[in-house]
Amino acid sequence: MKTEEVKKFADKLRYEAYRMVYEGGDGHPGPAFSIADIIAVLYEDVMKIDPENPDWLDRDRLILSKGHACPILYAALSEKGYYGESVEHFNLRKLHTTFQGHPVMGKTPGIDMTSGSLGNGIPIGTGMALAAKLQNKDYRTYVITGDGELQEGVVWEGVMIAAHHQLDNLTVLVDHNGWQSGGSLKETGGVDEIDSKFASFGWKILHIDGHDHAAIKAALMESAGQKGSPTAIICDCVKGKGLSFMENNNDWHKKVPTKEQFEAARGLIEEEKHEL
Amino acid sequence: MSYKGTREAFSVALTELATIDERIVFVSSDSLKAMRAVAFAEKFPEKYIECGISEQGSVDVAAGLAACGQIPFVGTYAGFLTMRACEQMRTFVAYPNLNVKFVGINAGLVGGEREGVTHQFYEDLGILSSIPNVTIFTPADAQQTYEAVKASIEINGPVYIRAGSGREEDIYPAGTPFAEEGFRVLRDYGKDLLICASGFILNRVIASAELLQKEGIHATLADVNILQNRSPEKLIELLKKFDRVLTVEDHNVNGGLGSYICTLACEHHPMYVERMGLKDTFGESGGAEELADAYGFSPENIGKQVHKLMERGR
Repeated sequence: MKTEEVKKFADKLRYEAYRMVYEGGDGHPGPAFSIADIIAVLYEDVMKIDPENPDWLDRDRLILSKGHACPILYAALSEKGYYGESVEHFNLRKLHTTFQGHPVMGKTPGIDMTSGSLGNGIPIGTGMALAAKLQNKDYRTYVITGDGELQEGVVWEGVMIAAHHQLDNLTVLVDHNGWQSGGSLKETGGVDEIDSKFASFGWKILHIDGHDHAAIKAALMESAGQKGSPTAIICDCVKGKGLSFMENNNDWHKKVPTKEQFEAARGLIEEEKHEL
Repeated sequence: MSYKGTREAFSVALTELATIDERIVFVSSDSLKAMRAVAFAEKFPEKYIECGISEQGSVDVAAGLAACGQIPFVGTYAGFLTMRACEQMRTFVAYPNLNVKFVGINAGLVGGEREGVTHQFYEDLGILSSIPNVTIFTPADAQQTYEAVKASIEINGPVYIRAGSGREEDIYPAGTPFAEEGFRVLRDYGKDLLICASGFILNRVIASAELLQKEGIHATLADVNILQNRSPEKLIELLKKFDRVLTVEDHNVNGGLGSYICTLACEHHPMYVERMGLKDTFGESGGAEELADAYGFSPENIGKQVHKLMERGR
C-alpha cells in the first residue's frame, strides 16, 4: 500500500476541492470532503487508469453517483495528470468551464459517466459491468453513492439487476455520513440498516471506516476477489471530514467559504505540511 | 418477407443486425415476449439482458452498456420508456449522446387499444421532441418498422422508434427504404391541400385522400416518418407548394406531428393548418378499429376536416 502517497494525495485533493469551490463561488464542500479518502485510495492506489489516454477501453470505470461531490473528483483527475499540469483555475460552475456543476461525460476528460441526478449510478454501473463481461474484459466498475441517495427507487432496480446478473466486477461504495441536503437521514426518513438491505438482494457486504486508507484498500481488494455477486462497501464517513468547523455541520452541504474560512483551511488541511 | 406486426418486424431486424454487428444487445424490462424477441434471446442468449420490470433501471443499464461500446436496443411499452424513464433517456443517454436505440410499443390509441389508457401512449413524441440529440422515427407499418430498425444503427446516437402492437395495416411494399428525407409522398392527386400523416392510421388517411379525390378535392398525401428532422429542407420545399395543410396522427395534437408541421409552416411558409389527433382527452378501451373511428380517424371524418379546412380563408 502506498500509505504516505495516499495520505498526501487525499490532503491535496481536499485543499484543491476547497480552493475550487472558493474560487468558483459555488459548490458542495461537505459532500466532497466526505469521500476524499475513498477517491484518494481509488485513484492513487487501486484503479487501473491511464490519464494520458482517458478513453482507454480497458480502464477501470468510476461513476460518482453523488455527482454534487465532484470537486474532489475533479481535483483527483487534475492531480493524476488528466489535464497535463495540475489545473490552475478550475472555474468551477462558471460559464463555458470544463468543470461543470455536476460531472459530464464527454466534456471533462476522465469523467466516465454523467451524474448528479441522484440514484442512477448503480444501474448505470451495472450496464458498464455487463459490458465488461460481454467483452471478456477484466476492468472493474466502481460506483460511489451517498447514503441519502439510497432513498431513490431506481437505486434498488440497479441493485436487483446487478445481483441477478452476478456482476462480481462491480463495486459500490456507500458514503455513509448520515446527512443529506435537508438534514440528517434520520430526520428525513432515511435508509436504515444499509448492510442488510444490500445483503438481502444477494450482494457481498463489507463495512469499513471510510477515512481509513488501509481499510478502504483492503475492502477494495477483497471485492476484487469476490465471485458471483457484486460488492457493496458501506463506508462510515464524516461529512466535511478534514476541517473541524465543517465536520458534521450540514450547513456545509452547499456553501462557499469566506476569505477567512479559506485562509483558516490552509493551516487545517494537511496540505500545508506538504509544501503548498 | 411479411410480418404479423411492428413487433415481429423489430425482432427480425434486431436478429439480423446482431448477426452482423457483435455490439448489439437487447435490454428487456420483462418485455422479451411483448417485443416478440424470444427467438433473438434463443439465438443470442448472452446478448439478451433482462432487467425485470424496471424501465428506469433498464435505460440506465443501456446507458452503461453504450458508454462501454455496446449498441443496446431497449424495447418496451412506449410510455413506460418515455414517461417513467424520461429522465434517464434525457440525462444519461441523450445528453452524453450515447448510442442507445429505443423501441416503444403500444403507441397511440391503435397501439394500446383494448388495454386502455395505462397502455395507450399519445405523449411519447411530444416528450422526446423537446430533448436534444434524439432522432424520432415514426414508421407507418411493419415493413417500415423493419427498415427503421435497420436505419437506426446508421445514426451514432439515440434513436426512438415508435411501434404498435400488431394492429397495423400494411401500407408499404417490402424493401421500401425508410425515407432519409423524413417523408414520402404516397398520393399525388393535386395541389388543393397537403395532408401530412404518420403512424398506424396511415391506411385511413390514404382512404380519405382517395374519397376526397372522388369528391373533387385533389390532395397530396405525405407520410412523415421522421419528426423534428435535423434536415427538414425537402419537407419545407414540399410545404411551400401548398396553402393548406392537414396533419393526422394517433398522438396528442401537441408535441407530435401537428406541432412539427405547424412550426415548419410558421417559420417558413405560413398557411392554414388543421391538426387532427387527440385534443385534450385520454382514450379508453376498445378494439383498434372502433377506437380509431370513435376518436375521429375514420376516412369520412378526416374528409370532413378537409372540407372545413378548404373553407378557411375563402
